[in-house]
Amino acid sequence: MRLPEFQLHHPTNLEDLKDLTRKLQASGDCFDFIAGGTDVLPNYKNRLNPKTQVISLSKVQGLDRISPTCLGAMARVRDLVDHEDLARVFPGLVEAASLVASPILRNLATVGGNLLLDTRCYYFNQSEFWRASKGYCLKADGDACLVVPQKEICYATYSGDLAPLFLVLDAEFELHGPKGIRKVPAREFYQFDGIRRFVKNPDEILAFIHIPESAQNLRTGYRKLRARDTIEYPVMGVAMGLMTKKGKIEQLEIALTGSEAVPLWYGDLGFGGEPVGEDTAEGIQKALLERVKTYKNVPFPPGYRRSMAGEFVKELFLKLA
Amino acid sequence: MNGTKSSAVHGPQATSGLRILTLRVNGSVYRCAAAPQALLLDILREEFRLVGTKRGCDMGTCGCCNVLIDGKAVPSCLVLAFDCEDKEIQTVEGLSLEEDGHLHPLQEAWAHSGGSQCGFCTPGFLMTSKELLACNPNPSREEIERALSGNVCRCTGYQKIVDAVSLAAKNMREWKEGGKQ
Repeated sequence: MRLPEFQLHHPTNLEDLKDLTRKLQASGDCFDFIAGGTDVLPNYKNRLNPKTQVISLSKVQGLDRISPTCLGAMARVRDLVDHEDLARVFPGLVEAASLVASPILRNLATVGGNLLLDTRCYYFNQSEFWRASKGYCLKADGDACLVVPQKEICYATYSGDLAPLFLVLDAEFELHGPKGIRKVPAREFYQFDGIRRFVKNPDEILAFIHIPESAQNLRTGYRKLRARDTIEYPVMGVAMGLMTKKGKIEQLEIALTGSEAVPLWYGDLGFGGEPVGEDTAEGIQKALLERVKTYKNVPFPPGYRRSMAGEFVKELFLKLA
Repeated sequence: MNGTKSSAVHGPQATSGLRILTLRVNGSVYRCAAAPQALLLDILREEFRLVGTKRGCDMGTCGCCNVLIDGKAVPSCLVLAFDCEDKEIQTVEGLSLEEDGHLHPLQEAWAHSGGSQCGFCTPGFLMTSKELLACNPNPSREEIERALSGNVCRCTGYQKIVDAVSLAAKNMREWKEGGKQ
């Protein structure tokens, strides 16, 4: 499959990158950034919102560092999986990374790319021919959502594996753009709209992910539902961070992916201070199920995906307690 | 939307805005004129005539087009050719070059174990296996299955492929210990 025609740019440092985005904006050109390419290029092949200018981040220096307090957005997902310090401190994060796509895709995919993954939907992730036959959707070339019929919001599902872990860890995302550098809490980064998706401006890149040292007190875990045990995106994923003291919950953080248009952070669902045990696990399961919504736009029935969120959260709580 | 739907999804590569592309493949330097959006897979097959690398799903999910870039197995259908200019690329053709024109131990093991039937997926499996054995010379069957979980084979049922990688690993360890070059 051929990619559509575009101009390709290769800045080598953040300053050149800022100059380039400023220049392209001034000339009125629309552009995309490309990191590993495993999300952008399949979408381009399907003619899903391609741009005429593409900025490759592959040669930008200094964006691939990995430590328990700071991750460069260009670090490969594979490098997270192999990182011993990270595995010791945040086993849940490394587990989530090890479940991203397949080994060959993890060799290409980047941490930043996974966090900024485009939302997915039956009516969007299809060929041009398929979409033309069915009728285009709000997210690409159409004017109405085909999942929840209306013209305001796209309900495509967020499907990144790493985001819920960073919500649990209360990470901050460092954005670089022509107007400067700013940090946004991960818990305020995503916006409920499968098109707009997050507060990052189109001319900004996600450069670093900062994790507070206090997060190292949490025991972390991740469970993922998918159609096959490899390659597939999560159609439900639950991340948890837990700290207990004297048999009671000191801190509990729960986050989901694969349910709605954004990854969702639920905090402790009101269970802070509760004793650790089966009854609390079932209470957390029930409280989560009251809040989880799923839509019929990715594999597996919405009800099954929702029920698996409950099973996963209970299983994780009992494992980490 | 700023779409560019005019260019064909299939058919000849667009030729507007061609630039000189220089790649290092299997230890040799290759040059050609290429469009900015050219994919590594297309350049390898159509410009350099290294057609051992196969086009499968075109979406990175079958592993047929795997090559090694700086020693890591990646689907070349999802790699921009111009992103690879400072990289070392190895295709399936490069395996025998490493062995002075003879079959690579992985290829020998594939032939011995019946790892190929139609053979279309074999180059991709070989390159993924090469990365695995470079990182882990003595993998368990489970580790082999996990490492190959991004490659799809419609013929063998995978067991013969896992047999082949196990055999190649054993032979390579023995030859290394025995001093075979």
